[in-house]
Amino acid sequence: MTTEFLRPIDGLHLAEEYRGLLRPGESEAGTDGAVHALPRFFYEIRSWEQAHEIRLAPHFTLAELMLVDRREARLLLSQFPHYVPCAILLLARFLEDFRREVDAPVFISANGAYRSPAHQIGGAKSIHAWGTAANIYRVGDTFLSDSRSIQKYRTIAASLGPAVFVRPFGREKGQTSDHLHIDLGYVRLTPRESSEAS
Amino acid sequence: MLSVDVSNGLHEELEALALKNKARAIGVALHDLETGLRFSLRGDRWFHAASTIKVAVLLAVFRAADEGRYRLDDSLHVRNRFFSAADRAPFRLSQDRDATPELYAAIGRTAKISSLAHAMICGSSNLATNLLLELVGVEYSRAVLREAQVEGVELRRGVEDHGAHEQGINNEATADGLLSLLSAIRSDFLTTQSKGEVIRILLEQRFNSMIPAGLPPHATVAHKTGEISTACHDIGIVYLPEREPYITAILTEFDPDTEGRRETVAAISEAIYRSLLRTDQ
Repeated sequence: MTTEFLRPIDGLHLAEEYRGLLRPGESEAGTDGAVHALPRFFYEIRSWEQAHEIRLAPHFTLAELMLVDRREARLLLSQFPHYVPCAILLLARFLEDFRREVDAPVFISANGAYRSPAHQIGGAKSIHAWGTAANIYRVGDTFLSDSRSIQKYRTIAASLGPAVFVRPFGREKGQTSDHLHIDLGYVRLTPRESSEAS
Repeated sequence: MLSVDVSNGLHEELEALALKNKARAIGVALHDLETGLRFSLRGDRWFHAASTIKVAVLLAVFRAADEGRYRLDDSLHVRNRFFSAADRAPFRLSQDRDATPELYAAIGRTAKISSLAHAMICGSSNLATNLLLELVGVEYSRAVLREAQVEGVELRRGVEDHGAHEQGINNEATADGLLSLLSAIRSDFLTTQSKGEVIRILLEQRFNSMIPAGLPPHATVAHKTGEISTACHDIGIVYLPEREPYITAILTEFDPDTEGRRETVAAISEAIYRSLLRTDQ
């Protein structure tokens, strides 16, 4: 793991323009009405080169887990620094476990891991804003685009622990038909050296 | 504005070409920017637009960029999942039926909007088309066509939307309509930079067996073809160094599996060229 570049930042100390987009520590009601606090602590990423260099787990770079498209807020899309929740470390660890189980490369889609609360897909109501969810569109040479492949890898992912949630195959709300959605819940990680005092 | 006298022979020549090549129907529109001459042979007949509709999407994509909705170098998630215009049911495109299968290697990753626009036109990529149409939206694209005063081009859905096709929801166009679409591209509807980029993309068309095939080698054509089982079209702006360009839309309809469809369009293109330049072979 090459994480020496990771510098934790208290989101409450960020410039206002970033706080307005990342909303550190703010409460947000999900679509089911349950309220969760958004991530407060982030790692600051200074460039795409750095994101590619930072290996969060043996087979996953940070860049793979922060690739977004134009639906991300402009400030968080084309300018650096970028900020990713510290819990992204846990997601990478889980993905590494998953990769070991399937014994094949695991591919995360664009917009498929961390998305900010300002992202047009789901916004702050999406668990992707916690940096604890990943959309896997391909395992090895297999594109996860049918019931059989999604069900197969869903079973494997779910076997990795009770905290893991995997969406079922389907075309209704809460289901997926062209990727495998996994998430670890609304996990917030406070770095050891950080204080949660406001 | 001049109007071509039927007696100049073009009308009869095109009718004869259609008959000889067993075309079920043809629609031809022409605007010569050198003389101002306009010609229309069944220019108001509706055809399935096939891939010529991608030019309408191209106009909308650049108009939206001009309006600041995004930047052309912004990236888009390449995802092969779209929603039918009929019932919003999801559908996928077939890589085997796409003229640009290489774009499918980017599924899951991102591609720049400008690259997708290039693939949509130059390689007639269905995947790029549906991604871009999803980006700008059908309603927005239709509004752009109205704003550009393009009549005779009905953009209703993405490509390969079989659910919509079964319900009769299709993209349709007339030769006159597609001619006005190309005219809008040449006008000041887009910014100078966008207009230049759109024409550059059309000039880089990879499929050149129709309008260009009927022209001398020194002609360059900014164009877009369109082919499905029964339709075979090409629309374009023809540039000749010795004169102002002309714009033409050549739409044809055949029984399925009829041979010589592209050759028919090329022959019509050649007839138009000879008519305008008064050259005889």
